[in-house]
Amino acid sequence: MTTLTDSPGRGASTPPPAPTTPTGGAGLSLYRVVHLVQVWLLPALLVVEFVAFSLLSPFFLTPQNLTNVAVNAADLALIAAGLTLVILMGGIDVSTGFAVGMLSWVVASLMAAGQPPIVVFLAALAGGAVVGLLNGMLTARLAIPSIVATLGTSALFQTGLFALWNSRDIFSTPVFPFLSGGARLGELPILVLIVLAVYLVLHLVLTRTTFGRSIYAIGSNVEAAKLSGINVRRVRVIGSVILGLLIGVAACTYLARVGVVQASSGGELTMLAIASVVVGGTSILGGEGSVLRTLGGVVFIVVLDNGIVLAGVPSLWNGLIVGFVILVAVSINGLAVIINARKKRSL
Amino acid sequence: MQSTPLLTARGLTKRFGATKALTDVDFDIHAGERVAIMGENGAGKSTLMKLIAGVYTPDAGSLTLGGDAYAPATPTDAIRAGVSTVYQEPSGFSHLTVLENLFMGRQTTRALGWLDKKSMGREAGELLARLQLPTRLLKRRMGDLSLADQQQVLIARAVANEARVLILDEPTSILTDTESERLFQLVDQLSAAGTAVCYITHRFDELERVADRFVVLRDGQNSGETDDPDREGLLRMMGSVSSVTVGADGGLVAAEDAVPSAIAEGEGGTEGEGGVLTGSGVADAAAATSAPVLVVDALSSEGIFRDISFAVRPGQITGLYGLVGAGRSELALAICGELPIDAGTIAFQGKPYRPHSSRTALEQGIAYLPEDRKTQGIFPHLSVGDNLSAAALRGVSRAGFVSTAGERDLVATWMDRLSIKAETPASPITSLSGGNQQKVLLARLMATNPQLLILDEPTRGIDVGTKREIHRRIRELAATGIAVLLISSEMAELLELSDTVHVLHEGRLTWSAVGSEITETAILRAATGAAA
Repeated sequence: MTTLTDSPGRGASTPPPAPTTPTGGAGLSLYRVVHLVQVWLLPALLVVEFVAFSLLSPFFLTPQNLTNVAVNAADLALIAAGLTLVILMGGIDVSTGFAVGMLSWVVASLMAAGQPPIVVFLAALAGGAVVGLLNGMLTARLAIPSIVATLGTSALFQTGLFALWNSRDIFSTPVFPFLSGGARLGELPILVLIVLAVYLVLHLVLTRTTFGRSIYAIGSNVEAAKLSGINVRRVRVIGSVILGLLIGVAACTYLARVGVVQASSGGELTMLAIASVVVGGTSILGGEGSVLRTLGGVVFIVVLDNGIVLAGVPSLWNGLIVGFVILVAVSINGLAVIINARKKRSL
Repeated sequence: MQSTPLLTARGLTKRFGATKALTDVDFDIHAGERVAIMGENGAGKSTLMKLIAGVYTPDAGSLTLGGDAYAPATPTDAIRAGVSTVYQEPSGFSHLTVLENLFMGRQTTRALGWLDKKSMGREAGELLARLQLPTRLLKRRMGDLSLADQQQVLIARAVANEARVLILDEPTSILTDTESERLFQLVDQLSAAGTAVCYITHRFDELERVADRFVVLRDGQNSGETDDPDREGLLRMMGSVSSVTVGADGGLVAAEDAVPSAIAEGEGGTEGEGGVLTGSGVADAAAATSAPVLVVDALSSEGIFRDISFAVRPGQITGLYGLVGAGRSELALAICGELPIDAGTIAFQGKPYRPHSSRTALEQGIAYLPEDRKTQGIFPHLSVGDNLSAAALRGVSRAGFVSTAGERDLVATWMDRLSIKAETPASPITSLSGGNQQKVLLARLMATNPQLLILDEPTRGIDVGTKREIHRRIRELAATGIAVLLISSEMAELLELSDTVHVLHEGRLTWSAVGSEITETAILRAATGAAA
């Protein structure tokens, strides 16, 4: 591998090289500690999680359970992958959950109306693209802060779902059989392979294409990106549309997992997706992170959910632990920023 | 003048990192006196005022106020002691009313901290009446007022804070002539009442009106002072290059710079164009008469610059000088498509050119090195290599995929050509010195293969050694046939590098000169509006 692809902004497993600024003193060592925590927090959490749950439940570390966990994680994993692109650019999307809910109603209705699966699937993709385009245009073209714009669209999607649902739950079979865990290639569910393929493709896009490099550049310094000839607005919109397309796919896998669309379907996914990205170690301020890290964050969140049930721990603990880990992950980011500022002042 | 000054400064020295902003400066002002502080960009005017206003603390030297030792640690200390400052851009609370602004931080209260609006209103009304300002302003929101009115409110706030010394930092730069006259009357009134007024200005035509005495700083040191508002005398005091001699072939060279650059050139090898000792004499006859690559004709941008025409030729370095606020960077941004153009045309390489964004400018061959490395230049999270290749990735990509080998070669080539000192291309950009970061940014632009390179303050905040090296690189790039438009506040840099110099003053092009006509005094005269 060349040295170029090992830059601190990219690559999941490469710890950023320690800064060599000769400022010395306590600031530097504290900086190192923060960096170590930033890089190793997630792997450490995953190890602790797996060891603890294996000890607490004999059923946890069985192929059957882990396969189940992986299949059930598909919709969250797809959303979090797309969300990583948006967060890397310094944006956020808090509308993903209800977008999935609303689109899953569309999918279920079309299935109920007897439309061919391929038509239903393409409709889901088209709906997702529209959602992404809407969010992208609002933030990139109208320059509305993404938190505000997506808060608004989230309310729209939530109300839309409620109106469409109209007090009638819609039950549905999976759009394609392979979107449920049943269809396997050897031992592995095809759905899991699809999700992994999405991550691999996005990883390559982020690290190997001009588009991916523009995403890191925009997240690191939007003014410099503009002056370097990067079409900031277009990259932002494309990023949102990619997230939208993945939301469309996620709507299908969500329906395959849950089997029914209700008034508030999908809503819980918004926070879980953000949590996956942040716990994964992608900076909420942008410029730094990767989809592979997000995949780790997704694994942490879904394994926690599963293990806590198996271990017979009250599920209140689930929210408590997730909340605590998010705060630690975000504080580490904030701490790094503060230390950087202090270093600059001491120069 | 009276015997004891109200405020004295002795031996003030202030360093920022390696840069000495102020060295051993003395300054006095008496009660009721009006003093103008003058000097070119970077002469230390603002630093001196900020030391007095408690924004900075001096590294050496001392201050007295009213005969007592005075060492403000914060602006609040200074205001309490009776030293208030009104900055160029009004810095009030725009969402609050004028009344609330006047009393910010020293509200009159009744029991339980309840604001006593009635007594504050009465007090403020009296204050405005005394200053002959309309009292109806009190209930208006600060942000709804004109800049001139906001400024007067801030001056009134200084009076309300019982200012004995009032510092005005280029107060008229944002005002119309009538508004300026109102300001002058207010200043007259205050000084008649015993307030000492320190006045920073770049405008020669208002000097007699606003000041009794002129204190000139040069390169962070006292350069002299006078009661005589004679322009020539003041310009001579402001000049920073101690002696300017004419090179053998008629080119100009700053004497104090000639020898060190010659040594630097010797170290760098003799393959250079050998133009150092002749300074601007690099301009060979062919370059001077070749067809211009950029022709700007009667370019205007509403409220920023007006009716600007000049040309930039390949292989030449065209200097652009102007004092702060003259519109130099804005002109560059307009050429890059980042600032709207209201009138006028630009031709690039003989064809009409209408930029929409820096992206289209780059595609056509115009590259811009921004003024502020930190906020507009580097990607702080990314590596040296990623920073360098950011603008040129398309050239080493196929179908959107970046060729790893192609990028590696590109980065290696430019790191070598500009001798960028980094451990590896994968090192974080933030681990590099400012000078090396700047070279990375220069390489980023050069990698796009531009025909015109616009450099905005290319050596600001960079150590002397790297600065000389960057100067050499700029000359080398020009020698390969690239047209360079150099924006610089540093007179020595401009004199050393430029073949042609254009000067902006308050958004207008006031002076242009080629080769031996370029003199520091002439540039300063044009930049301060004294040429008219």
